[in-house]
Amino acid sequence: MGMSYRQYLAGARIYGCSTCKTHLATIHSMLSRAFNGQHGRAYLFEGVVNVVEGKPCDRLMTTGNHTVRDIYCIKCGVTLGWKYDRAYDPSQKYKEGKYILERSLLVDVQ
Amino acid sequence: MRLRLGNSSGPFSNSPPDSLQTKPLIPSNSLASPSAPIQSSNPFSSNCHTNGAGLTTNGFSNGLTNGTGSNSSLGPLKNGVSKHSKSVAQVSLPGRKLFPDSNVDREEFVRLVIQSLRDVGYIESAATLEAESGYTMESPEVAEFRHYVMEASWEQAEAALIRLGVTDEDNLMESRFLISQQKYLELLENRNTTAALMVLRNELVSHNIDPDHLHSLSSLIMCSTPEDMRRRASWDGAKGTSRTRLLNNLQKHIPSAVMIPQRRFLTLLEQSRLWQQQRCPYHNSPPDSVSFSLYRDHHCDSSCFPNTTTTILEVHTDEVWNIEWSHNGEYLASAGKDKSAIIWRVGPEKEPAQREYTQHLVLRDHQYPVGCITWSLDDSILLTSSDNHIKMWNARSGLCMRTIETHSETVTAIRWLPDNSGFMSAGLDRRILIWNPEGNQRDSWGTAAIRVTDLDVSPNMTKVVAVGIIHLAPAPQPPASTGASPAPGARGDSASQSPQSQSHAQGYTMKAENRMIVYDMTTKQTIASLKLDGETTSVRVSYDSRYALINHAPDEMHLWDLSLSRIACKFTGQKQGRHVIRSCFGGVDGNFVASGSEDGNVYVWHRDSGALLEVLSGHGEGSVNSVAWNPKNERMFASCSDDKTIRIWEAITPGMLAAAAASADKDAIMTDSADGAGSSKNEKGKGRVTS
Repeated sequence: MGMSYRQYLAGARIYGCSTCKTHLATIHSMLSRAFNGQHGRAYLFEGVVNVVEGKPCDRLMTTGNHTVRDIYCIKCGVTLGWKYDRAYDPSQKYKEGKYILERSLLVDVQ
Repeated sequence: MRLRLGNSSGPFSNSPPDSLQTKPLIPSNSLASPSAPIQSSNPFSSNCHTNGAGLTTNGFSNGLTNGTGSNSSLGPLKNGVSKHSKSVAQVSLPGRKLFPDSNVDREEFVRLVIQSLRDVGYIESAATLEAESGYTMESPEVAEFRHYVMEASWEQAEAALIRLGVTDEDNLMESRFLISQQKYLELLENRNTTAALMVLRNELVSHNIDPDHLHSLSSLIMCSTPEDMRRRASWDGAKGTSRTRLLNNLQKHIPSAVMIPQRRFLTLLEQSRLWQQQRCPYHNSPPDSVSFSLYRDHHCDSSCFPNTTTTILEVHTDEVWNIEWSHNGEYLASAGKDKSAIIWRVGPEKEPAQREYTQHLVLRDHQYPVGCITWSLDDSILLTSSDNHIKMWNARSGLCMRTIETHSETVTAIRWLPDNSGFMSAGLDRRILIWNPEGNQRDSWGTAAIRVTDLDVSPNMTKVVAVGIIHLAPAPQPPASTGASPAPGARGDSASQSPQSQSHAQGYTMKAENRMIVYDMTTKQTIASLKLDGETTSVRVSYDSRYALINHAPDEMHLWDLSLSRIACKFTGQKQGRHVIRSCFGGVDGNFVASGSEDGNVYVWHRDSGALLEVLSGHGEGSVNSVAWNPKNERMFASCSDDKTIRIWEAITPGMLAAAAASADKDAIMTDSADGAGSSKNEKGKGRVTS
């Protein structure tokens, strides 16, 4: 795979991994705060950086069936949320390719 | 010298060889007598005589001519001319050219030959040539002038300037100033302050020189001792080389046709050699090697180039990211994703087949993968970086002496300082820090404008070159779920922010700008800050501190001329997209540029022309992450790869060819690859190390 450095973000507000402070996403790419994860409130993001994606699996959520992948911090390996590969319900299609980060696992970094 | 004399006079004399060898020790009188009887009966008698006489002048002039760097001895010169103008007839030739079809001026050529002969010590031959050609190396005025300068006859030297053709007002002024300055310094050296002050007031001040320079000269009067004065003036005194240096400086103002620059012929030959060397793409021979001869144009055989794998080191359990040779070339340090660094000891044997590579130390105990490694100048300490930690290891015992956790983000560069005053570190936290050899922070350069992805210190300690990235905040964008599209004006603005690179991360784009920043090492000031087009991962400053070699994505390497702040050469062919790929200089004079590549090959170019010389395959799948040339062996380098191995590359030696041939005889089945790869296979058994 080769050696690569972690990516860094810039912007008004940067969310990082609460364990190791690795940059994950900025407020500019946030789409919604109205999501719920395993640990309470969660945010939907257009894109995130410095995460490793797990294997796809089908998961039944409050809004229907979805194919999702868990995402892990590239540095410390903590599970941070998931990525939507596919939404079966047509009204939920907008989530495809987007990321969920759990608020309780995030910390503001600069 | 002795042998040559023996040979030349051998055919004409009946003396046994041992008596010939003692000749240089015999005074000239006794030497002349045995050759006298032969002289009369021999048609080459005049030659014999010249040899004999030349012998005495030889010993004399060798000491004098070379010692002072030029002919300050008037005696032998004049004697030589007068003696031979009688016996040697002048040959008159038509035209002014050396040959009818050449552009070389005969007089210029002959005068350079005379100068060379005289510098070597062939005083008689030089005189003979002067007589035969009718050209003199220089007029008596020049010799006199040289004499005046060397003997500190300043007034006469100054008066001679005009006779030597220094007519231009500026040249004359500058020359007079140089002479007065020397006079002033020598008076100060002799503690003759009053006279020195007179020179300062009456001569130096009258010249229109830089006031700062005049101030520094006048301040020398305050020096208490001659030693102090010499040190402050960076001047080595009347007994040192200062008069010769003055002569060299004066020479610049005297027409070269009047006073030929010193060792002019040699200068021309050196230029020709440099030119041939630059046109030799595989150039890798030390300057004193046999491949340089005046008899033929220089050309290095590509077989001297290290393009064959002689050893594969496979102990790392994951990708190998970086390698670094110790300064003595006897150890190789490697590091990588398996969170370890390994120090390999390289056997001293010249023949690769006999050489053993042993795992000297395995340095585990890193929390994260190891990215950077560097050796102290005496190779007693190895530094490793693992994410934001720097570890100092005793390279002999393997003991971790210290763990430094000052950086808050990944450390991307550690370099031991060329003056051995400690080391420098830089990281993605934008910090550039300087540490003493014990690992205590002794300086900080504040926050850099870039997140540093690599940094190097010029060997002459004047410059620090850092490359890195500046992340730009994205233009505010309303969330897509609201359905509102960004204002057209805002979109136009962000699109016009160029040059910019976009790092794609799972469909999410982030704007960033890549830069090279050159700092002055002493003042920490930015000398140059230049935008680069792609993500930069490696920088190396050349041995002569002139160039910086920079790798950046996509697929390009640039050689920056640091003094001119422009690209001197581009190297293409290697693949670089997302990974940290490192490169290096290598070979004699850093004549080659080598780099890893994401296509699994090692690429080598000719530094000055940018010509791609070799694409070396052999590593397995994944990137070749780094390459390192052995600092003590210009025909050996190493590469490391995602395939968990390190390869040692060398030029094929006769021993390797023999070994390959021998094994081919033994088992014909194994010779499916009888080329370079085949011979490397044979060495692999010996060189391979398994834990």
